[in-house]
Amino acid sequence: MEAVTRLVKIRTSKTTLAIGDGANDVGMLQEADIGVGISGAEGMQAVMASDFAIAQFRFLERLLLVHGHWCYRRIAAMICYFFFKNITFGFTLFWFEAHAMFSAQPAYNDWFISFYSVAFTSLPVIALGVFDKDVSSRVCLEVPSLHQDGVNNVFFSWSRILSWMLNGMCCSIIIYFGSLNAILVQAVRQDGRVAGFDILGVTMYSCVVWTVNCQLALYISYFTWIQHFVIWGSILIWYTFLVIYGLFSPAISATAYHVFVEACAPSPLYWLSTLMIVVTALIPFFVYKISRTLYYPQYHDQVQRANSKNW
Amino acid sequence: MDSHAAGSSSGGSGDGAAQPRRNSRKPKYSKFTQQELPACKPILTPKWVISVFVLVGVIFVPIGIVSLRASQQVVEIVDRYDDACVPAGVTDKLAYIRNDSIPKACTRNLTITKDMKQPIFVYYQLDNFYQNHRRYVKSRNDGQLRDKSKASKTDNCDPEAKTVDGKPIVPCGLIAWSLFNDTYNLIRNNETLSVDKKGISWKSDRDHKFGSDVLPMNFQKGPLQGGKILDSKIPLSEQEDLIVWMRTAALPTFRKLYGRIYVDLKENDTITVQLENNYNTYSFSGKKKLVLSTATWIGGKNDFLGLAYLTVGGICFFLAFAFTLLYLIKPRKMGDNSYLSWNRATLGR
Repeated sequence: MEAVTRLVKIRTSKTTLAIGDGANDVGMLQEADIGVGISGAEGMQAVMASDFAIAQFRFLERLLLVHGHWCYRRIAAMICYFFFKNITFGFTLFWFEAHAMFSAQPAYNDWFISFYSVAFTSLPVIALGVFDKDVSSRVCLEVPSLHQDGVNNVFFSWSRILSWMLNGMCCSIIIYFGSLNAILVQAVRQDGRVAGFDILGVTMYSCVVWTVNCQLALYISYFTWIQHFVIWGSILIWYTFLVIYGLFSPAISATAYHVFVEACAPSPLYWLSTLMIVVTALIPFFVYKISRTLYYPQYHDQVQRANSKNW
Repeated sequence: MDSHAAGSSSGGSGDGAAQPRRNSRKPKYSKFTQQELPACKPILTPKWVISVFVLVGVIFVPIGIVSLRASQQVVEIVDRYDDACVPAGVTDKLAYIRNDSIPKACTRNLTITKDMKQPIFVYYQLDNFYQNHRRYVKSRNDGQLRDKSKASKTDNCDPEAKTVDGKPIVPCGLIAWSLFNDTYNLIRNNETLSVDKKGISWKSDRDHKFGSDVLPMNFQKGPLQGGKILDSKIPLSEQEDLIVWMRTAALPTFRKLYGRIYVDLKENDTITVQLENNYNTYSFSGKKKLVLSTATWIGGKNDFLGLAYLTVGGICFFLAFAFTLLYLIKPRKMGDNSYLSWNRATLGR
């Protein structure tokens, strides 16, 4: 049977799935791209050689139609979003270099940069990759043709990947040039003080954190308390970190010493420019999403819409 | 966006009730593991889209108007003086600025364009000066600035770390060495306006980054003088010009606070500025400008924020209008099951 599997794989270049429950199926399970082993009457050998193990043959339907659909969508979205958030962040550093003689001076304090992927934007991505659902499991079972989204590579096509990257680039341009023009060169507060390198860094970084997290909130279709907690929580963690880090002695915090509580928070210009920049950066994606789902819906959009009860 | 109470899903691994006494190895059911937590599943409908855009427009346009008005109320007078203050007939500006025997005094006249209420802020603005270059930003030693006992620590400060005979320079580094040293004396109707130079730096810098027992030592003793010479009897925490200068700017065009005037200036007043044109910006085609400005709750004069809010608010109103039109002209009935592919004759995508 493994010879047959290999023949099908090579001749048709398609992804193959094999399901079996006995020791004689082990070869076939290993040869196929996806091996599903059934644990039970014939022992555990098939399970040990498989990628997925289920308890009864009829669970295969659920595995493919429900979990297959959800996981494909989640992983594709997670990877595209990951590129987006890092491009948004990284490119603001590049645009700054154009104004710093390309001397490799980072626009932000070192610890801001180190904690970006760890503390401020990591949990929402995990929530996206683990919990997001576009339709319920009942709908997945009722509409088996949703499975074709995976076969046709709808969610991870090159156009999707590149458009997320383009979105990241546009967001970074809006954030960088918006912060620059709003905050420099004039005074930023009523006491006549101007913004230096540190205030610009904090403003840009806050805009980046807000933008990438709100972008995720615009994208996901399933909001439990977990999603709310991680998205708004990440933004709160950023401000908390800024305050706490600013309390450390200047030997450690360098340019971030007291910068938020003393310089940024009392300045209405800081808060107003954050609001303006974040909303402006999110508008292109929002308009695209509206046009797509309302006027050019794809198949999965239609299914999702047909299955939500209230209009 | 619509909400649902709970995801509707039939039991996943529903075991038949055929053998009720058998030990089931089915995992314990929990909403979390079965992913059936109560959830909000927002769906975009035209009503929501239009309301969101109208809401954003309604919030942004007034903010834009208020910000723009505040910015328009600020009176700002900018005067570039680096080229005008070079005496007529001098072709080699670099030699002029480096020659200590040529007097650098220069007189400029500023006319106040609108009434300015005190406090009026005096800034100096430099163009094409890259205070954000990595080697420049690095060239300081924070420990030395804070603590008298660390006076000999001059890491990162090269080439302004030690004098030729090996004595440490306090404060070391290029940032301190290039301290701006033009001075301005403002006179109105033959009466000198006093410029308050206290409190121009950030309080956290004065209190925690620059020590009150650290005195300048061996400063600007080298062959090339880069900027101002500091009084070695005044501790660093009181040298506010130095503190303001050492808070490095973000971009090559920047302003730094020079002082405050606590006198009202009237429209058409003429302010005579007697300045000392000491600072060398001629070697890198930099510009020097003197700025007098008032400030409002939003800060100094910058129309960008107000205009940006108005633009975005306007765009949102336009989009709301456009989507309303589209909705009225081409209503696409939501939930119309005839659009679903399995209800159509051909499988459409």
